[in-house]
Amino acid sequence: MNEVEKVQGELSHVDQERAGKYLTFNLASEQYGIGILQVREIIGLMEITAVPHTPSYVKGVINLRGSVIPVLDLRTKFNMEPTEYNDRTCIIVVEVHGESGTLLVGMIVDSVSEVLNITAEEIEPPPSFGGEGLDVDNFLGMAKIKGDVKILLNVDNVIGRSGLSHFAESS
Amino acid sequence: MGEMKQDITGLLDELAIKIMVIEPGDLSAVGEILEILEKLRDSEGGDGQAVLQQMLKSFQEALQALIMGELPDTAESYEQFAECIGRMQEIVRDGEDEAVIAAFCSHLNAIGCALDPAELFGAEAAGENLPFLKDRELLECFIDESFEHLGSIESLVLELEKNPEDSEAINGVFRAFHTIKGTSLSLDLEEISNLAHATENLLSEVRSGRFPMDAETTEVVLGVTDTLISMVSHVRDISENGGGYTPADTSEQLALIDQLMGEKEGKVSAQAVVVEEEEMAVPSATPDFLQDIDLLSSFISEAFEHLESIELNVLELENNPEDLEIINNIFRPFHTVKGVSGFLNLMTINKLAHATENLLDDVRNGKIAMNSDIIDIVLNVGDFLRTMIQNVSEVLDKGPQVFQEYDISEFVDRIQAVRSGTEMIASPVTVSESAEVTQPAVQPPAAPEGDAPGQIGNAQAAPSAKAENTAKKTTSQAAPPAKKKKIGAAIKVDVEKLDGLVNAVGELVIMQTLVRHNPLVAGISDPKLNKDFAQLTRITTDLQKTAMSMRMVPIRQTFQKMTRLVRDLSKKTGKIVNLVMEGEETEIDRNMVDSIYDPLVHMIRNSVDHGVQIPEQRLQAGKPEAGTVKLSAYQKGGHIIIEIADDGEGVNTGKIKEKAIERGLIQEGASYTDHEVNNLIFLPGFSTADKITDVSGRGVGMDVVKRGVENLRGRVELLSTPGEGSLFLMYLPLTLAIIDGIVVRVGSERYIIPTIAIRESMRPQMENYNTIQGKGETLLVRDSLVPVIRLYSVFGVENACTEIAEGITVIIENEGRQRALLVDELLGKQEVVIKSLGGYMQDVQGVAGGTILGDGRVGLILDLAGLISTSEEMAAGEGGNQ
Repeated sequence: MNEVEKVQGELSHVDQERAGKYLTFNLASEQYGIGILQVREIIGLMEITAVPHTPSYVKGVINLRGSVIPVLDLRTKFNMEPTEYNDRTCIIVVEVHGESGTLLVGMIVDSVSEVLNITAEEIEPPPSFGGEGLDVDNFLGMAKIKGDVKILLNVDNVIGRSGLSHFAESS
Repeated sequence: MGEMKQDITGLLDELAIKIMVIEPGDLSAVGEILEILEKLRDSEGGDGQAVLQQMLKSFQEALQALIMGELPDTAESYEQFAECIGRMQEIVRDGEDEAVIAAFCSHLNAIGCALDPAELFGAEAAGENLPFLKDRELLECFIDESFEHLGSIESLVLELEKNPEDSEAINGVFRAFHTIKGTSLSLDLEEISNLAHATENLLSEVRSGRFPMDAETTEVVLGVTDTLISMVSHVRDISENGGGYTPADTSEQLALIDQLMGEKEGKVSAQAVVVEEEEMAVPSATPDFLQDIDLLSSFISEAFEHLESIELNVLELENNPEDLEIINNIFRPFHTVKGVSGFLNLMTINKLAHATENLLDDVRNGKIAMNSDIIDIVLNVGDFLRTMIQNVSEVLDKGPQVFQEYDISEFVDRIQAVRSGTEMIASPVTVSESAEVTQPAVQPPAAPEGDAPGQIGNAQAAPSAKAENTAKKTTSQAAPPAKKKKIGAAIKVDVEKLDGLVNAVGELVIMQTLVRHNPLVAGISDPKLNKDFAQLTRITTDLQKTAMSMRMVPIRQTFQKMTRLVRDLSKKTGKIVNLVMEGEETEIDRNMVDSIYDPLVHMIRNSVDHGVQIPEQRLQAGKPEAGTVKLSAYQKGGHIIIEIADDGEGVNTGKIKEKAIERGLIQEGASYTDHEVNNLIFLPGFSTADKITDVSGRGVGMDVVKRGVENLRGRVELLSTPGEGSLFLMYLPLTLAIIDGIVVRVGSERYIIPTIAIRESMRPQMENYNTIQGKGETLLVRDSLVPVIRLYSVFGVENACTEIAEGITVIIENEGRQRALLVDELLGKQEVVIKSLGGYMQDVQGVAGGTILGDGRVGLILDLAGLISTSEEMAAGEGGNQ
């Protein structure tokens, strides 16, 4: 306990949040990572019931063993070119900490690749692009591993709080 | 007493004769004997009564064992039984004798019934007459709770040993001892109470930091805990098996505590902390009760419960002023409120509760007779306490600045006056404004001591006597018939867990159907499999029923709250109203309890204020002077139906029509049935009252009812017969977790429409279809124009049927508005478990939730109010664009 605290004390607040295990997945040619602790499960694509009056990236709701959970398409959410779903397409079910507590949300991604252990040293803060289009709050940072760049997502911001408010506006 | 002895002797003689002539195998004769035994055990008095009672008990048990086949049913057995009766007769005649008792036992032993004379002798000390055995219910609670508390004390003390600064743990221990002290005191278990009290004092010193929680203290507290455990076990044994009560010797431990306390006395002058009710200090201005927020908030919620039960019991007491059981039921909550408030330093509350408790104690002990004055005082005190506790709860929310000191001296004076037997005439009763009840201006003189119960009602001034009558009627209906009710063991469960279970079971049922209807499985024609499936269905159905029933509570409590309402209303309006209740045992979903309260209040108010006439009018109309409001609940066809019926003048249909036309709600000349007109009163802002009374008539009542009931997915309607009365019918779903719905298809999507909102469905005829300026589609349904909503266009569904004539229209009604929903097809009726779409999609307009359909996919349940407003917005938007 103490040791962990000591190590963590040395790291900056942000770093200690960042280092750890990540599930990586693909969207088009880009690789993304999300903290493994937020991942509930990965399921294959299933039939989705559309919900009216929701933003286009909200595909609808699915039956996750008796619970009804919303599913969003991450490509559409990031304004990327949509693609046909295929047998590699999956839904990553993540736990999102929103204002109304923890809720489960499914994210449709092209395919999942692996779980990586990423250390604090491998993570760089997200570069500032300026201008419109990219919300830096959505990213925890960029991890460079063996030449590949993984974009680490702050899921809570992508589909949690900001997602909810965004959603409220558009409806 | 002599008479009593005669009685017993007579019964014993009868018994002796019966047992002589009995033939082995004649069990009905044994039954008769058991009956006589019952009578014997019920009779009281006589010398050596305790022992005799014990003997009778053993005898009865032996007979029962014989019936059960545990003892031989032979002539020899009966001979021995006859001998036993002989011994009992001796006891009654000559008084108690050790040898006789021993003989009695040996007779029973001879037929194989183990009995030790000592057992019978133990009873001699106190027997069944132990004071704490009087109130079994409380005792059982006490025993259960004490074990729980003592268990927690042990672990907390050990925790404290490791971490002496843990104030939470000290508070926990303190509270546990305090509770034990309080309850044991009210059970007259003095030794336990004393010991707990001493320990509590010790701990309060520790708590305030004046005294360390060192090894020695820990040792003492643990010692006390052990002693208490054995004392409580002893009490439990007595309560279960009878026997004498020999309190453990606690003097040593008391001395130890004294010594410990004494050791530090040099440092701090001894202060009687906390619960020394008699010498309560003047309440300080600052609320220092905020120290223990946890305890405070549990106190508040419990106190409200207690006050409610006080109120109910007081109303019941009006009917049975001599019923000790009820007085006890009132006494106990006051006692608890007193205890905890004292502990929390809520001195005003404590004082008032204490004074009332004393008053009730006098009543309980027969020092003063129960009369209407006392009942009024207790009711007022209850209201006032509620006001004060409400304030405390506000303090908890908003901070100490809102704390208010209340003046209770008037109550205390009144109580004192009643207790000292002074007659209270015209006491200026100024209950605080926030208190609910207004008192009759002049208090009737208190009934003199020892007044017969029957006269009490008559001693009242006229209006209150009538009200008394009301309450009497009500309570006599409401009083549960079973006096000796068995208290089953109960546990408190987190509602969330319960909901989780109900959900899971719902899923299980659906999954089972899924598996069963899987084409592969359905294709197997194996009798064994079919049998197993049938069995599985039975089990899941049982499971579902049980899970559902756990969420159900009887409607009784909600109904009983109406008793007070009717009592107050009838006093206020000068009417005589009897409230009759039926079907209070009908169970409703506990989540519904709070939501039906408001609608009920409004409907009852309406019935009393508008329905029932004043006595003169009633007499003129040839009706009895007293009006009746009947409140009943029952289950019918998948609904809970609550009826509120009055025998008043009925609804004035003409007047409603007039008002409705005046307000443009209906058109003059249009044909409406009386029933339709009557139900217009549920529209917002509708009131026919010529004058707005204190009670109702502001026109906000009935639409609140309608909205409240529709929120529960129920509906309400009004039936009225002029001159004979009106009847409100409230249809509620059995449970909030499941709704009955019609599954409809629109394009490739499926939606569920709540059945309760559906009036009819039809394939529309083009000749009934109209448009206004090419838009504003309407359909003529039974002579009224119903706007059409094309579901596919509101929800943006593709590939749906767009031709009116090819689809199906479902006529729905919501908040009095009818709409025709255009859908492709009706797929069937289904009960569905309602699921939230989750925080992410809570506010989707037009969608109330989702559910898992038979094929495992999610179907959306329509929210009709939202759907109607969305469609209107869309239409308005289109209009604006052009």
